[in-house]
Amino acid sequence: MTETTSASRADKILADLAEGLPKGEIPATLYGNRELYERERRNIFARCWVYLAHESEIAAKGDYVLRKIGEDYFIVVRDEDGGVHVHFDACRHRGVQICRADSGNTSHFRCPYHGWTYDTKGNLVGAPLWKNAFGGMDKGANGLAGAARVDSFHGLIFATLDPTAPSLRDYLGGMAWYLDLLFGLNEHGVEVLGAPQRFVIDANWKSGADNFSGDDYHLGTLHKSVWEIGAFPVPFAANMMGYHIQASPGHSLSFSMAPNDDEPGPKFFGFPERLTDTFDTQRISAHQLDAARRSRVLVGNVFPNFSILALPMTEDGANFPPTAVLTIRVWQPLGENKFEVWNWFCGYKNMTPAEKDRSYRAGLGTFSMGGAFEMDDTEPWITVGRTGRSAAAEALDFRLNYQMGMPGIGISHPVKDWPGPGIVYWTRYEEGVQRNLFRFYHDMMTAAPGQWPALGFEES
Amino acid sequence: MSTAADPQLQAEVTEWLFREAELLDDGFERKWLEEMVSRDIVYQLPLRQTVERARGAGWVEGTYHLDERYGSLNTRVARNETAYAWAEDPPSRIRHFVTNIRVTARPDGLIGVRSNLLIYRTRQDAVTPQILSGERHDTLRREDEGRVLRLLERRVLLDLTAIGTHNLSIFF
Repeated sequence: MTETTSASRADKILADLAEGLPKGEIPATLYGNRELYERERRNIFARCWVYLAHESEIAAKGDYVLRKIGEDYFIVVRDEDGGVHVHFDACRHRGVQICRADSGNTSHFRCPYHGWTYDTKGNLVGAPLWKNAFGGMDKGANGLAGAARVDSFHGLIFATLDPTAPSLRDYLGGMAWYLDLLFGLNEHGVEVLGAPQRFVIDANWKSGADNFSGDDYHLGTLHKSVWEIGAFPVPFAANMMGYHIQASPGHSLSFSMAPNDDEPGPKFFGFPERLTDTFDTQRISAHQLDAARRSRVLVGNVFPNFSILALPMTEDGANFPPTAVLTIRVWQPLGENKFEVWNWFCGYKNMTPAEKDRSYRAGLGTFSMGGAFEMDDTEPWITVGRTGRSAAAEALDFRLNYQMGMPGIGISHPVKDWPGPGIVYWTRYEEGVQRNLFRFYHDMMTAAPGQWPALGFEES
Repeated sequence: MSTAADPQLQAEVTEWLFREAELLDDGFERKWLEEMVSRDIVYQLPLRQTVERARGAGWVEGTYHLDERYGSLNTRVARNETAYAWAEDPPSRIRHFVTNIRVTARPDGLIGVRSNLLIYRTRQDAVTPQILSGERHDTLRREDEGRVLRLLERRVLLDLTAIGTHNLSIFF
């Protein structure tokens, strides 16, 4: 009875995680254990608010896109009255896929098996020879299954499958303040610049979440080439100045920010001045506008797998100066060692077509699977997964070092006079942002059904 | 009216495509760019979705995996020449298989070429290759007083919606 079974191995990894986090240690097997992944599907992806689509992707009545929560397919559709629904892509009759395209416009979805037909609100509206087959049966009880709750924030559509989940606003907690200052800088807001790019990597989805929670330190080594080709205007050392912020449990972000307004470098993430002239405090506070003005880069992750990044880039430094690239992405799990990247570029709606085109090209040439930045990112993530799956990591009790910025280590220090929410550090030589990700991860993985970990930090 | 190429042009273009594949497979990206690519190049790999038959093949207007001009292609080549291009150092082993070559002489003097492309890629000690299959729609132009054929337009149409390779640090 002393043999460690597979099921309890996941428990042991989580216990090691809880024990290691205060010391800045994370078990390497977190990035590859299969049983842990099966639990993630249920405890994280079937419970948390998960990003699905931007409202601009389904602007017209009947517009739909096919998306995923965890590994499962959901239809995100705008109904005849303008409401947004998230339907489980499975017919009530035999569970067959009813949405057979990645996107489109429709008034109904018809199952190809027996012809059960649903409207965009998910109501069952009929089936062939209804009276013969189903006369007397209640249509109302046989609509499509929907996400437990759907909500949006600045046009970003999220859904949760857990009826006990807190509201989206409560779930985002302190992160909402930071999403405001990226997506709410003027009355127009943002829209997607085209359909999402999708590509598949043999690695663990948490590598994406970990990286975008605020791993700025890797730029100096992994992305050294981008400075050599002039793709990014802020030198590495200067770019390490800024704030690391644990916005609320699970959600983290990082700013590259000038110490004061006098710095000549890019402001407002490098958005063109004609656009930044329209940024105001209509939807955000003066503090938020000021933080955005001083920002060169914002990178962050909304737990579990929705990441955002804004920064000035160029795909061709010899011919075009850097301009703001705004990418939002999802790290879609496909197993413990496979995930799909969904990558959208966004622009402010009141940018000119030329400004949108420039931003899109700069993004495609830097932060996409063919981009100078991102093509290197996937390279180490593949072997993070290899190490995570290894028997050696188990046998050697191999722990990963997440100690940067802990007391007595490095130059970073807590900041008390920051106007926004969260736990804040000055300089980006710091990994508390990632420890925050994994602390909440642990708490979700060990929470009983219906129970939710704290969504705010205790007052210190 | 475009016309199917005469055997001499067909042979010339086929030879050109094979030379290009050899340069790319052997890692001579700079030589490929400078000798075989026009300064006016438009090089695109459009994004594809699964759509209902009535909506066509699923190419999404105005969205791409790659949308390159000479300057950005030059940046990509320059990046791979730095000492920090981890994605391609150690380099992928790439093989371009080019078949079904259809050459068209166009009235404007340009040469249209369609070819099927299979790229077989391995990294490090992987025994499972990454395979990318697709069609290329190219336009070639005679430049330098007609002495040289160069790539003026390339549209790479992959048979995938989600791309099954960890990056596009390679050339098609």
